[in-house]
Amino acid sequence: MEVDLIQIKNLKTYFFQGKGLLSKWFGQGLKIVHAVDGVSLTIKKGRTFGLVGESGCGKSTLGNTIFRLVEPLEGEVLFQGHDVVKMDQKELREFRQKSQIIFQDQFGCMNPRMTVGQIIAEPLMMRQGKQKNHQDISQEVAELLSAVNLDPDAAVKFPNEFSGGQARRIGVARAIALNPMFIMADEPTSGLDISTAATILNLMQDLQEKMDITYLWVSHNLNQVKYMSDDMAVMYLGKVVEMGQTKEVFDQMAHPYTRALISAVPQVSTGEQKQTIFLKGEIPSPINPPSGCYFRTRCPQVFKRCEEEEPPLLDLGGGHFCACHLHDGH
Amino acid sequence: MAEPLLEVSKLTLDYNLGNRKMRALDRISFRLDKGQVLGVAGESGCGKSTLGLAILRLLPRVAEIRRGEVLFNGTDLLKLSEEQMEREIRGQKITMIFQVPQNALNPVFKIETQMTDILRVQDKYQNPGSRKRRKDFRQQAIERLGSTGIADPAARVSNYPFEFSGGMKQRVMIGMALSSGTSLLLADEATTALDVTIEAQINRLITELADKYGTSILYITHNLGVLSEMADRIMIMYAGRIFEMGQTQSVLGNPRHPYSAALLESLPSRQTKGKRLLAIPGFVPPLDRLPSGCSFHPRCPFAEEMCRQEVPPLIEVDKGHWSACLLDQKRGRQKWKWI
Repeated sequence: MEVDLIQIKNLKTYFFQGKGLLSKWFGQGLKIVHAVDGVSLTIKKGRTFGLVGESGCGKSTLGNTIFRLVEPLEGEVLFQGHDVVKMDQKELREFRQKSQIIFQDQFGCMNPRMTVGQIIAEPLMMRQGKQKNHQDISQEVAELLSAVNLDPDAAVKFPNEFSGGQARRIGVARAIALNPMFIMADEPTSGLDISTAATILNLMQDLQEKMDITYLWVSHNLNQVKYMSDDMAVMYLGKVVEMGQTKEVFDQMAHPYTRALISAVPQVSTGEQKQTIFLKGEIPSPINPPSGCYFRTRCPQVFKRCEEEEPPLLDLGGGHFCACHLHDGH
Repeated sequence: MAEPLLEVSKLTLDYNLGNRKMRALDRISFRLDKGQVLGVAGESGCGKSTLGLAILRLLPRVAEIRRGEVLFNGTDLLKLSEEQMEREIRGQKITMIFQVPQNALNPVFKIETQMTDILRVQDKYQNPGSRKRRKDFRQQAIERLGSTGIADPAARVSNYPFEFSGGMKQRVMIGMALSSGTSLLLADEATTALDVTIEAQINRLITELADKYGTSILYITHNLGVLSEMADRIMIMYAGRIFEMGQTQSVLGNPRHPYSAALLESLPSRQTKGKRLLAIPGFVPPLDRLPSGCSFHPRCPFAEEMCRQEVPPLIEVDKGHWSACLLDQKRGRQKWKWI
């Protein structure tokens, strides 16, 4: 039985530039960055949801908005039916115990003057108040460290004594400290060697199985998303252009952008040559997105209607959605 | 018949850090033919970037080349004077592009200034007494920028680096690096920081321009997928040694060294969902405490007694396919079943 853990409805996060006094006097007026522009999606419990797209497409902002690290302009984020956007401080604190983030720059997330033990103990102290004694907490820290295959002795060391792969493990240990239901992993293996990345992926899969965690997997590595995720969404300029079960999306790529993105991934092949679709230019600025379909400026299959009308996200059947006029039947 | 452009033989290099001596390159020998692309792959710390810098002699002072030759068109680069390197080689015949282009561009100068600087120096050494003027160099810079696929180069040349995206900056670097005079391009993780769509564009650009000018490329990366698509030959390095080398198809298709086989097995693209990825046990050893014998033996489940004692030589095990694994050499062809 599949239960929806997170439902996002028409979420919009805009950033405003030029609000300051100097910009008012000398600037060209208010500029609006459409970082997340009307995204709706559903993350099912116990599964991994992959979110892919080029840098600047809004995938990290979407993730941050779910946790209300960034306030949305409008829309809903339902976590087990409760709207995160409307939560007060107390509810938000409870929500944030059930959901955790593993950030890309793991060293940036750790205080260099705290030992790893202190870093991992912090969420535990927050949960338990001061009545829990140190013995219990250091016991728990040791268990967490061994859960991520690190030596419990690591607790007395400082972050700079660890390699990139080990730092990620510490990040994972801290994220699972409070038994969360939901973890967002933002580029969890970027900058790691192939073999080290493989250990992190294995670890996170094991934890998912053991603790029934739901992942939001934000990455631009399509090979990894294909391997890790059950469902996925492809974002472009703040909008979801294609969404569905990962297998479905890869087998029957419907949107020209998805096709180009997947074809551009370098593959180790030993036989046939694959055809790479080269996109023209780069992702346009989210301040002045193109009219109609946002992708039309780079799309190899562009036609007249794309300029005039914004394509809606249509169900192609079986929960496979695509926002492209090519699939509109007209 | 292919002509060799670069022949490196037995290149051995140490980093001397106080009382610690790290052997970063250990008897590296390979050749790169004219117009070919040689891919260098390996995990971080295996010496692949050191190799690129050693060829250009751009290493920090703690590095010491113990022995070996780097023959470039028959001349040993290690024997040239610093002045000759500067005049004839660096930025002239051999150029390099790096992973982070913003570090290679000065933020306070316009793209034009930075490109014409290079052109001026190249011109000074290549045509002494030339009377080219600023206008000519600017024109040349615009042409170079245009050839890298940047739209409206005449206007963009007056921009500052911060006005360019990461992909465009890398295009500028390529424009500066590749010209008719360049015969060898060292690309060190040139596309690692870019999005896949931009990466594909940049790699195509490098290949096209290299074809146009007949430039050979030493392409350093940890992305085996990129090498599979770009390289004619591949070299796999580990802890300062070459473990395997050969035609791309044969190295990736029939790896003879267990380490190469393991690298391929740990790629998520090779595995279906739900199956575990291969994670090689243990870590890359620190270079000042390399294990005896084959430096990979503590992590290799196939290792036998001889692997602990004998350093495996790099031997041609098949036509044009070299490998440094004792088991493969002494027990005959092995199938490396890691999982």
